[in-house]
Amino acid sequence: MRIKSNIAIILFLIGYGSFFLYSVSQEKTDSKSTISDVSGLMPVKVKRVVKGNEEKSFINTVKEANEKDLKVSIAGKMHSQGGHTYYEDAVVMDTTGYNEILKIDPEKKIVRVQSGATWDDIQQAINPYGLSIKVMQSQNIFTIGGSLSVNVHGRDIRNGSLIETVKSFRLLKPDGEVITVSRTENGEYFPLVIGGYGLFGMILDVEIELTNDELYQMRTKQMDYKDYPSYFKKNVKGNKNVRMHLARISTSPDSFLKDMYVTDYELAEKQEDLKNYNELKSDRGTWLTKPLLGLSRDFDWGKEMFWKLQNKYFEKKDGSYVSRNNSMRSESEFLEYKDEENTDILQEYFVPVDEFSSYIEDLRGILSEEEFNLVNITIRYVGHNEDAVLSFAKDDMFALVLLINQGIAEEDKKQTQKVVRKMIGVTLEHGGSYYLPYYSYPTKEQMKLAYPRTEEFFSMKRKLDPEERFVNMFYEEYGK
Amino acid sequence: MRIFIFSQSIALISSSIVFPYYLLFIKNVGSSFAQFGLAYGLFTLTSALVHRWIGKTSDKVGSKVFLIIHAWGMAVAFITLPLVSSLLQVYMLQVFLGVLGAMQKTCEKSMLTEFTAGSKQGELIGNYHFWTTMCSALAVMGSGFLIDYLTIHAIFYVGSIFFLISGLMMFKVQQDSTKSLNN
Repeated sequence: MRIKSNIAIILFLIGYGSFFLYSVSQEKTDSKSTISDVSGLMPVKVKRVVKGNEEKSFINTVKEANEKDLKVSIAGKMHSQGGHTYYEDAVVMDTTGYNEILKIDPEKKIVRVQSGATWDDIQQAINPYGLSIKVMQSQNIFTIGGSLSVNVHGRDIRNGSLIETVKSFRLLKPDGEVITVSRTENGEYFPLVIGGYGLFGMILDVEIELTNDELYQMRTKQMDYKDYPSYFKKNVKGNKNVRMHLARISTSPDSFLKDMYVTDYELAEKQEDLKNYNELKSDRGTWLTKPLLGLSRDFDWGKEMFWKLQNKYFEKKDGSYVSRNNSMRSESEFLEYKDEENTDILQEYFVPVDEFSSYIEDLRGILSEEEFNLVNITIRYVGHNEDAVLSFAKDDMFALVLLINQGIAEEDKKQTQKVVRKMIGVTLEHGGSYYLPYYSYPTKEQMKLAYPRTEEFFSMKRKLDPEERFVNMFYEEYGK
Repeated sequence: MRIFIFSQSIALISSSIVFPYYLLFIKNVGSSFAQFGLAYGLFTLTSALVHRWIGKTSDKVGSKVFLIIHAWGMAVAFITLPLVSSLLQVYMLQVFLGVLGAMQKTCEKSMLTEFTAGSKQGELIGNYHFWTTMCSALAVMGSGFLIDYLTIHAIFYVGSIFFLISGLMMFKVQQDSTKSLNN
């Protein structure tokens, strides 16, 4: 009897354990239904959202908008934070259902995809061919269309901005006509649509260049911020085997903007081992990073602890191997943050490599005077590229991505605006620029200084879309 | 008696952590107050219907068995919650929880009476409620703080593990009962 009941207990525990794991693995995040980007700073009422999975439905929507004189905005995953994906009373075309992989050419290393596909969709499709994306963000949750519209860059230091890897795309113009755009065909659209924030029409599908999946060995090193530029030039850019690079600088009060550690992804000696590492991994470990990030939002000791634990974690990763594809599938779920009164926002500043040390000192000067909750900073490198009319990489630049926690009340926004404008001011003084997909804190003047072709961009917008059919809150703020 | 208090405290902690958020959760799944009312009514109705049967049966098999079934049933129910997506599933879950709730209500009382029979019954019951309620009060406040850092689903998982432990402890209860009565 006793044995029987013990067996029953053990069987129950095993069953429970497996169901528990199943439940955890099935966990999905709630979807949202109101129109606002991830920052939640600018909720806006729109006329309706059209989620299409056929070219025809988007063409009809634009034609109908022309007949009824409605405004149109384009939305993918809505991770831009300045209202780039919607407009008051506009029809929002949600592209996320328009996500087929149309063609993979392993010979020419080219993929053709619909614009609503995410980087993850592409990775799943091309990984079996041993192929990999050349330029994308560190996270793979974004749509291709959205990424093109903000002309992203990532960890890869040998390929700069996304525009460099685009062969051609098809564009649904404001008048409802569909054209093919490449550097040679309808070439005037090419540098405007990429990095064009959805103001010239909807990208339907795109052909981008791929590269081989490779095996990298990760090298982690700690250093002082003053040593970073020379380390980078000599050991990262100067070593042709280093393909990707990511650095972090401390936001913990004890070592604020001083301590750094860097991770280099170096081509592994035994490339034949790639087969042991090239199974695509998914997001893991958010149960730990999420609460830690939460604590560092709220407390200085939380920041200290998060910084130290990150250091430990990356030290442990020193010497370990990762496939190129897996290195571009990093965690992002832990950044999801829901709170009634506060929100996380991003800022990204570009500063020429040689200006880095003095720039960090100036930045530290501003931030030590101000009330400002800076949670995390990561640093990447992006090479000089001015193909797009709105190009941020006017030089070989370090790109600093700042994660900031702020209140959503008006006075909190004002405070953040004050600090952001100061930081951008310093960035511009050092010959830098800032990234446009974020909240409209910068002044119009600052945009013109960071992007000297701003006026040309907006006047071309009005020339190619005279009815101003495609609009968004970003255009409203800076384009008029 | 002490283990019984422990076990029931953990169970109560777990319910207190989860239920406020559970209500928010089913409100999200349902879309009207009518559906919300129906879901809650189903819970109470099933409880009512099974109470007499449970009472009778517990006299035969002992209240311990039902308290274990309750704890482990809740453990399973809580990990099912994050998977729920339709209203029908909510209704089914409510019926299940209703049965479990009835088990706990009746058997907690009968076991408590068993343990506290004697002249000091009032004092002992007071003692029992002091500890269990105290734990649940602290748990509610603590979980409010925790949920800022965790997902709502994480709360369900934590609650589930608590119930699992509560159930395991119940196994230990009877052997101890004579001793604690003498204390």
